[in-house]
Amino acid sequence: MATVTLEHVSYIYGKGTPFEIKALDDVSLTVKSGRVTGIIGHTGSGKSTMVQLLNGLEKPEGGRVLLDGADIWENPKNMQAIRFRVGLVMQYPEYQLFEETIEADIAFGPRNMGLDEEEISKRVREAAAFVGLEPELLQKSPFDLSGGQKRRAAIAGVMAMRPEVLVLDEPAAGLDPRGRDIILRGIREYGERTGSTVIIVSHSMEDMAAYCDDIVVMYQAKVFLAGTRDEVFSHAGELASVGLDVPQITHLALLLKKRGVPLPDAIYTVEAARDCLRTLLQ
Amino acid sequence: MKLILSILYIVCTFLCKNVLSFALLLLSAVLLLLISRIPPRIVLRSLRALLFVMLFTAVLNLLFTKGETELFAFWRIHVYVEGVYSAVFMLVRIMVLILSTSLFLTYTTTPIALTDAIESLLSPLRVVHLPVHEFAMMMTIALRFIPTLMEETDKIMNAQKARGVDFSSGGLIKRAKALIPILIPLFISAFRRADELAMAMECRCYRGGKGRTKMRVSHLHASDFVALLMMVLFGAAVLYLNRLGLFYTL
Ligand SMILES: Nc1ncnc2c1ncn2[C@@H]1O[C@H](COP(=O)(O)OP(=O)(O)OP(=O)(O)O)[C@@H](O)[C@H]1O
Ligand SMILES: [Mg+2]
Repeated sequence: MATVTLEHVSYIYGKGTPFEIKALDDVSLTVKSGRVTGIIGHTGSGKSTMVQLLNGLEKPEGGRVLLDGADIWENPKNMQAIRFRVGLVMQYPEYQLFEETIEADIAFGPRNMGLDEEEISKRVREAAAFVGLEPELLQKSPFDLSGGQKRRAAIAGVMAMRPEVLVLDEPAAGLDPRGRDIILRGIREYGERTGSTVIIVSHSMEDMAAYCDDIVVMYQAKVFLAGTRDEVFSHAGELASVGLDVPQITHLALLLKKRGVPLPDAIYTVEAARDCLRTLLQ
Repeated sequence: MKLILSILYIVCTFLCKNVLSFALLLLSAVLLLLISRIPPRIVLRSLRALLFVMLFTAVLNLLFTKGETELFAFWRIHVYVEGVYSAVFMLVRIMVLILSTSLFLTYTTTPIALTDAIESLLSPLRVVHLPVHEFAMMMTIALRFIPTLMEETDKIMNAQKARGVDFSSGGLIKRAKALIPILIPLFISAFRRADELAMAMECRCYRGGKGRTKMRVSHLHASDFVALLMMVLFGAAVLYLNRLGLFYTL
């Protein structure tokens, strides 16, 4: 269990050159421990930048990044320990695989932590199970796998370090619906089983609705909205003003309600809608 | 054309042999910088990158040039006046070299124009069946991919750092080992990119240089000849000042 807090964090790319870009502008945010938080926003709204600040890959230009109340930059020598506590899966992580077998690659992180072999192999198996990689795949070379399988292997490589905070940058981007479901469900399961805090960056409102407890909406380097899923989705008008939208099924449910179908307010997934309608019909 | 001019300019920097011609050289470099309107900060940064090399050559020159008038001696190191001169000259020479190449070629010329220039300068070699066009194409592609590769290295490094690789501590061997998780993905992605690029080029029916026309044909303008004339005058001035042999000559 760990809480992540950003206090007035700002970040600027290319400081001191004519190409300065303010990627984060006075962002304050608390991510609740033990919950799945989704970060959503337009291309270039600063999502990737924000998650790279969380485990100290980038240093904030101003403000502080707190892990359980302690500034992670207080003692930069300890950064490695912080990175084991805050596991980050970068955007398109499949390109970081390098070992001869999937198993060895998933074991890379835990091995850097200095764990013993028995513990390492236990964690590798566990992480592979979370993301749904079959055990017989573990002996294969990473380069013989499909794109989706590589993605899962890379995510497992971070899960195997068992971070208290698991941060994933667009873990499901570019995958088919089934592949997305497997990965996102695995991530959620990881959070529930280990009690870890999970942060997922995504473009898809549908995915957010289905898998996240809390949602943070980023817009032009600032936090635009933050709160529980229901709170954020109740601001449909504001979301539309920054070019985002509530899930389509929510629109449909609202339309049905207008026509007199007695549906509850908060319907965000197709499954929920199906169940409601089914009970209504019976 | 620009390429020829900058080569000429570089030759001139090596021809300079005395104080006067060096003064002229420095003056011309400063003038060129002003005309080009490149922010001074960027110029300074490109100089700083090579500062070590510059200082190193200067010190070597200082210590190993033997002359007649000894300035001072310390232990077994003798520093001669000639050494000081040659050190200073060397410094200026390298500085002007860097300035002029970066000025002419990297900051004010697009890589495409550069490879076009190389292609047309090398084109006489086509007679001996050298694949000149392919050569230039390779250069363009290589130049094009330098930033991409750098960005990629950055990304992979961050990803492995997130998995607990520590690049900044440990002995030489440990650090070299930490590079493996960077280099393997980097090479693989470079190969993959090369493959994709080749495929994409074929899809657009690229098949080498024969019969290809250029999108932008560059012509020589009057201003180019003016520049050449000025260059020749500059060279002549340098040679003349050298002959004057005022003050000190190498
Ligand atoms: N390495 C970099 N150098 C310079 N500018 C950068 C760099 N990385 C990102 N930026 C800029 O910072 C801003 C925020 O980028 P960021 O990658 O955080 O966006 P994002 O929300 O993750 O977008 P996406 O959804 O496309 O991944 C953008 O304007 C981008 O152009
Ligand atoms: Mg991003």
